[in-house]
This record gives sequence, structure tokens and C-alpha cells, in this order.
Amino acid sequence: MLSLEMLASSDFWIGVLKIIMIDLLLSGDNAVVIALACRNLPESQRKKGILFGVGGAIGLRVVLTFFAVGLLSLPYLKLLGAVLLVWIGIKLILPEEDHDESNIKADTRLLGAVKTIIIADFVMSLDNVLGVAGAANGNMFLLIFGLLISIPLIAWSSQLVLKLIDRFPWIIYGGGALLGYVAGEMLVGEAALAAWVVEHPLLHHVIPAVGAALVLATGWWLSLRQRAHAPLEDVLDEVVKRPE
Amino acid sequence: MKILVPIDGSARADLAVQYVLSQMSNWVSKPEIFLLNVQWKVVNSNVKFFIDPQTVQDYYREAGLQALAAARLLLDQAGLSYQYHIGVGTPAEGIAQYALEQGVSQIVMTQGGESNLQSLLLGSVTSRVLSLAPCPVLIVK
Repeated sequence: MLSLEMLASSDFWIGVLKIIMIDLLLSGDNAVVIALACRNLPESQRKKGILFGVGGAIGLRVVLTFFAVGLLSLPYLKLLGAVLLVWIGIKLILPEEDHDESNIKADTRLLGAVKTIIIADFVMSLDNVLGVAGAANGNMFLLIFGLLISIPLIAWSSQLVLKLIDRFPWIIYGGGALLGYVAGEMLVGEAALAAWVVEHPLLHHVIPAVGAALVLATGWWLSLRQRAHAPLEDVLDEVVKRPE
Repeated sequence: MKILVPIDGSARADLAVQYVLSQMSNWVSKPEIFLLNVQWKVVNSNVKFFIDPQTVQDYYREAGLQALAAARLLLDQAGLSYQYHIGVGTPAEGIAQYALEQGVSQIVMTQGGESNLQSLLLGSVTSRVLSLAPCPVLIVK
């Protein structure tokens, strides 16, 4: 699986970097959901909730990854995967909408908290799994490496990454461009387009670059109205008065 | 005179409160003291999709109160009136914005409350505040 030849190729190390970047950008939310979902549990059950939640989330991600790889080997599904990756990239760049009409209720039972975590992880893992599967590009070692990297990110909150994104919003433009690039590579690898790509080898570089540019341009255009920094949100305001 | 003391929950940050207390006798009229803790915004819209807003608010409030506890205790022991505030956002930008909104006359803070890795990657909050603040900033060494 892992040969010396592979270690000597620059493509392999670029793949490693891509996967680390995708994992960092698309895994941080899971840890936050796990911590918050277990907050309302009684103290005695909180540890158990986190353990079940993390375990279930990791299991789910392993299954989803191999499922995604299987699907991507089917004809035409790489086309769909590429479109999805472009969309994920644009969504990463877009400013967040606040949906305040949220009607979710906090669950104080262990089963409810674990259910929340598993559902959230299923939804939030799809983008990560697709991104890693795309960047691994059929290399089993890279795929498993991507999975292993994402596990500690799920288990231990990677708040530093979230802080970095908040402090330097341009990081997400880099991430978006990377996802667009990987989408382009996926498209080049689509069997249905193979004949065309063989005829014009330059497409190996052009299509990924177009993918990255597409994500950046769309994301930038859609987020024109975003302010550079969101204003401070108030949580608590108290006055302590003492007689003079 | 309004003095804003930003508190990040580190032991160093409380030195700024101690400094303000030590200077109390130097002011002709008692200054109004504002404590501010800014929590990093770690909950984004993906997370809000699964977690109810009340839990998110509770999390920020609890973390903020924990960060402010030691500083509040110092002021309580000194028997002073003060205001405290917890906000969510990017700390340096949040501190500057709050100072502007409250019409603060001076910010008193310490340097380097964050871990080495964090300040290496994120830059020091104190030096960001220095460049963003709408008022004089006093740095307690």
C-alpha cells in the first residue's frame, strides 16, 4: 500500500497537505456540536454522552468514507461529486445566515443527546468525506490517512482552527479554492471524459484551476455584502452597584 | 472617567484589575469600571442547525462568567461599583467596539494572556487593541 516510490513523489505529499487542510477546515464543527449537545445532560451522564457521541461519529465517518469511494468509482458519479465539491467550497466561503426561527429543543436525556450528535455528524461529515475522497484520488493510503487525521479533530475540539478562521477570514478563501481545485481533479478523472482528457493533456491543469477560480469568483460575488468582521454580540450585561 | 478592563480569564489579565485598584487614590473622582470578556465565536451556523440557541447562550455565559470570576472577586473585595459584560466575537475587534459604544476614556490591559502557540498563530490581542482602540490604552507590565 505504501511504497518508497510513493513517498518520493511530490504528488503524494501534495495530497497529504490537501487532506490535512480539508480535514482542518471541515471537521471543527463536529467537536463543538458534541460538547454542546452533552451540556444539558446530568453531570453523571455527560462523559458517557461524549464517549458514545464521539465513538458513533467516528464509526459513521469510516463507513461514509468507504461508501463515498465506492460510489465515486461508478460511471458519471464523479461528475456529481465534482459539482457537490464546488458547492461545498462556495458554501464554505459564504457568510453565515442566522436562522433564528430555530425550533430545536435541548435534550436532557442521554439517548437524545447521542441522537443529536450522530445526525449532526452524518450531515457535517458528508462534505469532509467527499473532500478527502476527492483529494485521495483513489490512493488507499491517503484515504485512511485522511480518516485518521480527522478523528482527533472530532474527539478534541479544534477550537484553534475556528479562532484562526474568525481572525483571518481569508483562510476560508484558500479552503474554498482548494475544494474547487479538487473538484476539477475529480472531473478530470471521470471515465466518461477520459478520451477527451487524453487528447488534451493540458486539461489536467486547466480544469482544476478553473474549478478553484469558479469557487472563488462565485463565493466572492455572493459575499460582497458581508462585513469584514461581525459586530460583537451581547450575551450578558450587569451592573454591580455599591453604596458610596 | 470610564475605565475598561478586558479580561480573557488568564491569571495575567487580573493584574490589570489590581493595577486599577492600586491607582484608585490618584483619581479625584472615582472612575467607572467596566469589565469585558469576549468569547471567540466558535458556534457557527452549521452548529446552530443542531443545537438550540438557549444552550449556545448558556455556554457562552458560563464560559464568560468563569473568565470574569477572579476579576469580579477583586472588585467585590475592594467594595467598588462596576459593570461587567460578556460578548461574542473576535476579541480585539470586540474590545475596540465596546470601548467606542460605551465612550470609554481608557483601556487598561495586560500583555500576553494567551498561550504561545495561540499568540503565534493569531497575533497578540493586546497589540490589535492598540491599533484599533478609539481611546488611550494603558498596558500593565
